[in-house]
Amino acid sequence: MRIAGQTILFLVLAFLIGPFILICVAGLSGGETLAFPPDGLSLRWVARVFEVDSFRATFTVSITLGIGATLLALLIGVPAAYGLERYNPPGANAIRNILSSPIIVPGIIVGLALLRHLVIPMGVGILPALFIGHTALLIPYAVRIVSGSLMNLRVDIEEAAVLLGATRLQSFIKVVLPNIRNGIMAAFIIGFITSFNQVPVSLFLTGPGVSTLPIDMMAYMEFNYDPSIAALSGLLALMSLLIVMVAEKLLGLSRYV
Amino acid sequence: MFQDRRLGLALLAPATLFIILGFLLPVAILLSGAFQTPTGWGISSFTEFFAKPLHREVFWRTFRLGLYVTAISAVIGYAVALSIVDASDKGKGRLIATLVLPLMISPVARTYAWVVILGKTGIVNQFLTGAGILDTPARILFSETAIFIGLIQLFFPLMVLPLISALENLPRDVVPAARMLGANWLQVFWKVILPLTREGLVVGGTLVFVGSLTAYVTPAILGGSKVLMLETLLYQRVSVANDFAAAGVIAIILIAMSIITNFVLKRLATARKGGK
Repeated sequence: MRIAGQTILFLVLAFLIGPFILICVAGLSGGETLAFPPDGLSLRWVARVFEVDSFRATFTVSITLGIGATLLALLIGVPAAYGLERYNPPGANAIRNILSSPIIVPGIIVGLALLRHLVIPMGVGILPALFIGHTALLIPYAVRIVSGSLMNLRVDIEEAAVLLGATRLQSFIKVVLPNIRNGIMAAFIIGFITSFNQVPVSLFLTGPGVSTLPIDMMAYMEFNYDPSIAALSGLLALMSLLIVMVAEKLLGLSRYV
Repeated sequence: MFQDRRLGLALLAPATLFIILGFLLPVAILLSGAFQTPTGWGISSFTEFFAKPLHREVFWRTFRLGLYVTAISAVIGYAVALSIVDASDKGKGRLIATLVLPLMISPVARTYAWVVILGKTGIVNQFLTGAGILDTPARILFSETAIFIGLIQLFFPLMVLPLISALENLPRDVVPAARMLGANWLQVFWKVILPLTREGLVVGGTLVFVGSLTAYVTPAILGGSKVLMLETLLYQRVSVANDFAAAGVIAIILIAMSIITNFVLKRLATARKGGK
């Protein structure tokens, strides 16, 4: 029984992780077209990734968008989580549902709705709309993760701070924030990765001139069958691996997922 | 100390207003479009949508793939979760981190790996033609099978992680007790483990099923323009034909299916526990 379980576990992990190893190897190919096993090994396609203008431009957009949307989601999400956890205001359940609603609606519909009813009629630019869509998507994550941290924090230390003369703001900044710092950092990392990898929300909010890296990759692979997408995929996988390993070491990230 | 309800509401206001104005309102207007007809309100968009054989085919394919992916993930998920829970604390942490890692990697990169494996010059075809089993490379990409494989790899961790936490909360003695009383492994699983971990299965099942229904990247890369799922159909209808009526209908279907799945599975989870 145990041996059978171990075998299945091994096969499943190979199925989950194996393709990344293959794609990294395929990206190191020296040949003209995507193939496995690759025609000789070289770094030419890895170098090529950095030469494609649209990859460079959309990488910058994706990084900026990821950081900006996550920061805004935390800026308004942390107070919301605090309000829900501590004050239990009237209509708390309805507000909880509103705040988590972006999870239920498929991203592609959000993108289309913003394009049709925000960008076109109100003249909002594509980039601000992309920013709004990503932020809305990240607010539920921010609220859920930070709420979890607040739930584990005892209320009496805040009461003690206020009794000892701190204002509410001081007690929040000096007592609450340091204690939920790990949760906020985990929310930042998960939010950034979610935005950076996001495809459906961005689908209708990109076009000539404005695009994100994953959308640009999908456009590129439609017309090219060279190993550069494999090389770029390998680089992105390594980037995620690095972020996750550091975050796991510092925060124990998998507790927050 | 936390009696000031106005302060509580003020803390909630920015996020709530942002979601309402930047998300709920545009989506609600889009969805209401599905119920508009040239003469007023009605459901003619829906009847027109389902009148086309292609649309019906895509609808059933999406539903079918969602069911298959969820069922297979659940069966393999239990086997994997059971052996992970058995591992030592250190090994368990590593294994869970290995399951979480793929969730953090770009779905485009994850899915493209299957092009490398299943493509015309990919590893599977190289092996089949090299070994003389096939004369010309088989067409594995752009098929339901390819989408199925891609979806399983994408969503499997979302099934296993809730199962692991459910199994960790299982009272320590119930399995040995059932074994001692003469139950075989199948009976132990069916009568003890499954009823007690039902909530984890429901959480995982909802995530995987809804995730598969609303997948875009996987069918776009592995299904191409021929083997469509609902989201790729939506994209095609809008970008090729400016068909916003069809887009509204698909949007309603996807959201309705998400909500119904959530509701039905939650009912199953809170239904009477215990085998009978």
